[in-house]
Amino acid sequence: MMASISKSEKAYIQASLLSSNPLRADGRGLHDYRTVSLETGVAPLANGSARVNFGKAVDEGGGGTEVLAATKLEIEDVKPGEGEEGGRIVCTVTCSPAAYPQLSSNALDELQYDYTTILHQTLSHPSLHPTDLGIIPYKKSWLLNVDLVVLSDAGNIYDALFMSARAALWDTKVPVTRAVQYVPPQSDGARGKTDTEDTMEVEGVGSSSLDTRHMPTASDFELSDYWDEGAPLSGREKWPVCVTLNIHSTAYFLDATLLEEASIPLKLLVVYTFTSPTSSSIQALRLVGPGELQLPQIEKLLQESEPFARQLHTALNTKLKDEDIRRNQKARDRFALRS
Amino acid sequence: MSSRVEILNDGGYRSDGRKQYELRDITIDLTPRGSADGSATITHGLTEVLVEVFGPREAKVRSQTMHDRALINVEVSLLPFSASERRKRSRGDKRVLELAAAIKSTFEPVVQTSIYPRSEIDIFVHVLQQDGGLLQAGINATTLALITAGIPMIDFVCAVTGGVYSTSPLLDLTTLEENDTPNVTVAIMPRTKKVTLVSMETRLHVDRFGDVFKLACEAGAVLHQEMKVAVESRTRKLVGAMETGPSIAIPGAERGDRDVYMEDNMNDDF
Repeated sequence: MMASISKSEKAYIQASLLSSNPLRADGRGLHDYRTVSLETGVAPLANGSARVNFGKAVDEGGGGTEVLAATKLEIEDVKPGEGEEGGRIVCTVTCSPAAYPQLSSNALDELQYDYTTILHQTLSHPSLHPTDLGIIPYKKSWLLNVDLVVLSDAGNIYDALFMSARAALWDTKVPVTRAVQYVPPQSDGARGKTDTEDTMEVEGVGSSSLDTRHMPTASDFELSDYWDEGAPLSGREKWPVCVTLNIHSTAYFLDATLLEEASIPLKLLVVYTFTSPTSSSIQALRLVGPGELQLPQIEKLLQESEPFARQLHTALNTKLKDEDIRRNQKARDRFALRS
Repeated sequence: MSSRVEILNDGGYRSDGRKQYELRDITIDLTPRGSADGSATITHGLTEVLVEVFGPREAKVRSQTMHDRALINVEVSLLPFSASERRKRSRGDKRVLELAAAIKSTFEPVVQTSIYPRSEIDIFVHVLQQDGGLLQAGINATTLALITAGIPMIDFVCAVTGGVYSTSPLLDLTTLEENDTPNVTVAIMPRTKKVTLVSMETRLHVDRFGDVFKLACEAGAVLHQEMKVAVESRTRKLVGAMETGPSIAIPGAERGDRDVYMEDNMNDDF
């Protein structure tokens, strides 16, 4: 994670950030991102997938932070210790040893556990939960696995993780299901019998929520005939974006490279959700690295980070919509374009 | 586990429309990735494997180093979404370790490890998608990644799987065919005509083995052609880039007193 860096290199990077005309080694401004490339639908066996790269060297094709994310749906029984009513989301981050060649396998495990915690806690929060992960009420639901693989880390890994997770979730298609139930033809005698039983057992409870008699009794489901692999996951606009502010005394900058991360270790992760063009909410906030911040400073940082996150969100949405169009283009149209 | 899909139908076609000896589509991508010294992605049909090579470099665990040759360290990871059923395999999983051990033993006699004593060569194999022939794809991708990393080897290593359906041999099996037929993976060195790996986990009649083995060796030679074309085109590109780049003037590199220049004097004499 930490690139080896000399004292003078460190001092050089720090001093140039604080100068009146701040400079970065690759010529970017303080609030500029590297080139971001994104592709969805990279894993054909997943329900949704995306590959994100920050700062790929255009000429050679190498370098940059690269994350692969994919979602997979599994059916679960709703039982204590297993599934939950309305489905659940589990995030897992795996780090390739090639991304951190200097780390031992134990250190790598710890690192991926750290990433997993942040991603899982943020994305599995009830406020973001999609409404269409249930299959049969109180019986079966979908388990949404979000798997992220860090293929290489060249700085700003958190932004890349959140962005790839968002893209993969955006791309996710949920198979359309329909609950089926066997309803026996009711004879009058049978109905009379149940009625009497009801009145005998519960009196005056009526339509209380404790009344278990009106529980849906569907016990199985079928996959309905649908024109596509499934319907897009609901509430996909809500998936958050993360902006990492790298803070050095009064200055801060975005999208740090490995050298910059090594010389300025204090980071503030802010994860935003944009529900409408005007409103936003913070889904997660985390201060990583040694150092401290004054309360007024945090307030200022939060205020100033919102526009960056909004820009990122808008740009990402545009790209994701482009990808949707690109992938849903009919084969015959593609051939027409080629000729 | 047997399926009701016909492995080889009366017309001589397999379940994915291939003929008996037909190999799947191969694509080779040798673009550099991350900070790796060499990397290669190979796809055999729907099987996709990415290999990154680091080294030769100082070993992470000093106690493992050997005084006379380099240590080859292979780590395999099967991505959780690579198969149709999601399954997360840990690093200690038996299947993963077995695959890593097979790749390691295949390359130990091929890589010239004695050139780099007390160092380590790390090979990280990522299986992005699996549809049969994991070992085959892993070995082919490792060969290419080692070559792009510039690590000296005696020869290419080209691997291919072969199977037998009743009496007819098949090549380059998919998962479906792997589950239903006895199969063998063969890795050959095409230039020296040697075999570095034969691995079989199922039972196969002795009379059939010879045919499959011979066929797999021939298919290996075909794969070798494809791999060679990819490596050559990459090298050609690199050489081309070197020529187009700005020529660097090195101070002190002007003509020295004792330099002898071979000049073309043919025209002066006549």
